[in-house]
Amino acid sequence: MNARPGDAIPEWVMESVRPERMRTMAAILRDPNPVHWDREAVAALPFGLGERTINQGPLGLSYILNMLMDWAGPASVRRITMRFPKVVLDGDRVTAGGRVTAVREEGGERLADCEVWLAREGETPALEGTATVALPDA
Amino acid sequence: MSAPPSAAEIEALVGHEFPGGTYTIAHWENYLLTECTGSEPLPDGLAHPAVLFHMPILGAGTSIAGMFALGRAESDFSIGIESYDWEILRPLREEVAYDVRGRVTEAGRREGPLRGGPRGVYDRIQFRFELREPAGAPAAVSTITWTYRRSA
Repeated sequence: MNARPGDAIPEWVMESVRPERMRTMAAILRDPNPVHWDREAVAALPFGLGERTINQGPLGLSYILNMLMDWAGPASVRRITMRFPKVVLDGDRVTAGGRVTAVREEGGERLADCEVWLAREGETPALEGTATVALPDA
Repeated sequence: MSAPPSAAEIEALVGHEFPGGTYTIAHWENYLLTECTGSEPLPDGLAHPAVLFHMPILGAGTSIAGMFALGRAESDFSIGIESYDWEILRPLREEVAYDVRGRVTEAGRREGPLRGGPRGVYDRIQFRFELREPAGAPAAVSTITWTYRRSA
């Protein structure tokens, strides 16, 4: 695979963040926090989020992982570091995006360093960070 | 609710080690988690990398609730995510018993805006979890940094 600094990574879109997936994730993660499964609990918070549950951070991060794996392969991700400036809510349409910042050789692999993000259309990112992926041959 | 911890009590968490243990990602677990991400199942028994949140926590012998309690969170709603840093040294796979060790690497009191909101007092706690394959090869490192907002 050819990749050069400045190249855009093909976007990955979650058309609608679904509350039932948050509930399944809460069970898998053993995450007792009601903000992920109780809309009334979220509405009672002083943040003006309305009656919409808050997506788990790892679930938002997973959309970026899906973008990277669709681009470079299912075993390609070597590192991902994310910050979470905003929450993602049920019903949101979010897009994962990224851009190659460097390509280098290390440990016999060709690695692409990337900046990556997840955002609602027209907004600043809800998640933003960096990732390193191993580029497949050819 | 118990009294909030002092800054010194938070700083004393550095070096705290969780019991440690093993964690095996079951096929059903990986299947359901991967479905939640909106992806098709990965080939060759690969685990979706998003397992790197809960697998190290549970494998190290703690839990999300246990980590909230360790930092004496005032409520579930007082926790914020600063960052997650996941290093994948070898692809993670289903039905492999990974050895997991975890500890607190940083802890301290801060004051300032959280998520661009109003200024406030909060504690910042960083946890580091290391995963090894059954033969001992390092497989992954997960570093979780959370903030614990204090009301007073």
